[in-house]
Amino acid sequence: MRLPDSLWGVRCVWLRYFDVFRKSLRFYLVTTFCEPILYLLAFGLGVGALVGTLKVHDMQVSYRSFVFAGIIGQTVLFQGFFEASFGSFVRMYYQRIFSSMAVTPITLSEVLWGELLWDATKASVAAEVVTLIGVALGNFPPVALLTVLPLAFVSSLLFAGLGLTVSARAKSIDEISYPQYLIVFPMFLFCGVFYPIEGLPVVLQWVAWALPLTSVLSLVRTLTLGFPFQPWAVPILAVWLLVLVVFSRRSMFARLVK
Amino acid sequence: MYATPWIDLRICRRPGLERLHPVAAVLELRYDLMVPVALRVERLTKRYRLESGGTLEAVSSISFEVHAGECFGLLGPNGAGKSTTINCVTGFYPASSGSVSVCGLDVYAEPKRARQLLGVCSQEDTLDSDFRVSDQLVRYATYFRIPTEEGKLRARALLERFGLEEKANEQVESLSGGMKRRLQVARALISNPKLLVLDEPTTGLDPGVRRVLWEILMHERSAGTAILLCTHYMEEAERLCDRVGIITGGRILDEDSPRELIRRHMDMDEVQEEVRPGVVWKRPPNLEDVYLKLTGTRLDEDARES
Repeated sequence: MRLPDSLWGVRCVWLRYFDVFRKSLRFYLVTTFCEPILYLLAFGLGVGALVGTLKVHDMQVSYRSFVFAGIIGQTVLFQGFFEASFGSFVRMYYQRIFSSMAVTPITLSEVLWGELLWDATKASVAAEVVTLIGVALGNFPPVALLTVLPLAFVSSLLFAGLGLTVSARAKSIDEISYPQYLIVFPMFLFCGVFYPIEGLPVVLQWVAWALPLTSVLSLVRTLTLGFPFQPWAVPILAVWLLVLVVFSRRSMFARLVK
Repeated sequence: MYATPWIDLRICRRPGLERLHPVAAVLELRYDLMVPVALRVERLTKRYRLESGGTLEAVSSISFEVHAGECFGLLGPNGAGKSTTINCVTGFYPASSGSVSVCGLDVYAEPKRARQLLGVCSQEDTLDSDFRVSDQLVRYATYFRIPTEEGKLRARALLERFGLEEKANEQVESLSGGMKRRLQVARALISNPKLLVLDEPTTGLDPGVRRVLWEILMHERSAGTAILLCTHYMEEAERLCDRVGIITGGRILDEDSPRELIRRHMDMDEVQEEVRPGVVWKRPPNLEDVYLKLTGTRLDEDARES
């Protein structure tokens, strides 16, 4: 089957990434799956034993289940962001593969879509692995494996957009550390991965809701733990997704094409 | 696809073109009408917006053509606009005005079809270090819709031609600078391009490797590939190019065969040069003399801004 030209181009780029992933699978198994599993063990089993159960939204839930769902969000954030920021910076700046691909019949626009979609694919597979562990340990219902996947993909795309924006605007690879510490880590710590944000002061709650990870976590917990659906999470995610994807592509174009 | 007769009567007298179409040359026909135009650049202008707020006109209304089986050189100092021209020819940078077409296909209107005919070797190392030497070529071939099996055959043949067959399964990082350069030129040839664009392909290569590359390029040229070569090596331009455009400050100052350029600009049989106090060398004028006469020897070319 012959795909439309632009879809074919995106697929070509995606396959290039997939091939690299496949060839160094052992390396990626460690970097992609080890980290969330370590978090699961440390917080789920370690802190989980200490805390026992929580009462959130008038629901009794074990801390282990709560934090497992949080780690799904954290995985999407870290995997999406780091692959699209440090990873794409290496590909764009050191390997120059963006500009070398974009003088073949593949256009730069397709290269960037391929990059974003690959980053999102990789991060959502990692999130699926975490979900699978949660299902295997009886923390989530098996159906979560199906329902989490599309949400994980969309939110990975969002954080990949954040990463690619950062990469496009960084003058050197060290500059990626600024947003890493000023945006990514605060989200990780304050958006409710480890605790319900309802315990935070109201001002911090508002800040947390303004950041995309809170909405991701709210929806993840609705799907995995049956927490009440907070409808405003959907538009918050949609706006962030749109803004970051559009902005990242524009920034990269502005950087590479004079 | 073919040069139109009214555009440029000068083409008729272009030395070198008769080689492209020997029968036409013997019959004194308009061989320029029979040799397809592989690249046509018309009044191409490229302005950049500078971070300081001003604009820089890197290329100012340049025009040239490259025919199939011909090597056209852009010879100029750093910052003359050579790389910008190349980035516009590949359609990567949008032109501020003017047009670029590859085998009659506008690179801006039909980038995919135009680039299908294009092989590019840029100045920097753009090899994909995530792939081994041979895989690299096969992978690159897929970007041109060349099936993997066909890509493997082509890759093997190219590696052989470039003397890299023993390195086929090595990591790119383990290659020497010269080998990387050769690999990058080989990669540009994997799609059997109609037009080969080379930006300073032999910079930093030792004389032996440079010779090998030159031979390969000459072979490609005689097989009908058009070559656009940017260089600041006089010897390279003099040897490889059927025609040379001397470019500086974003303008082509003159364009002709190396021999004609020397004849027209250097009105002398012999150049005398004092190379050391008291030591005078006498030699026939060469392209470098023309180049220096036209572009000047100032060192401030890079600082040109407006």
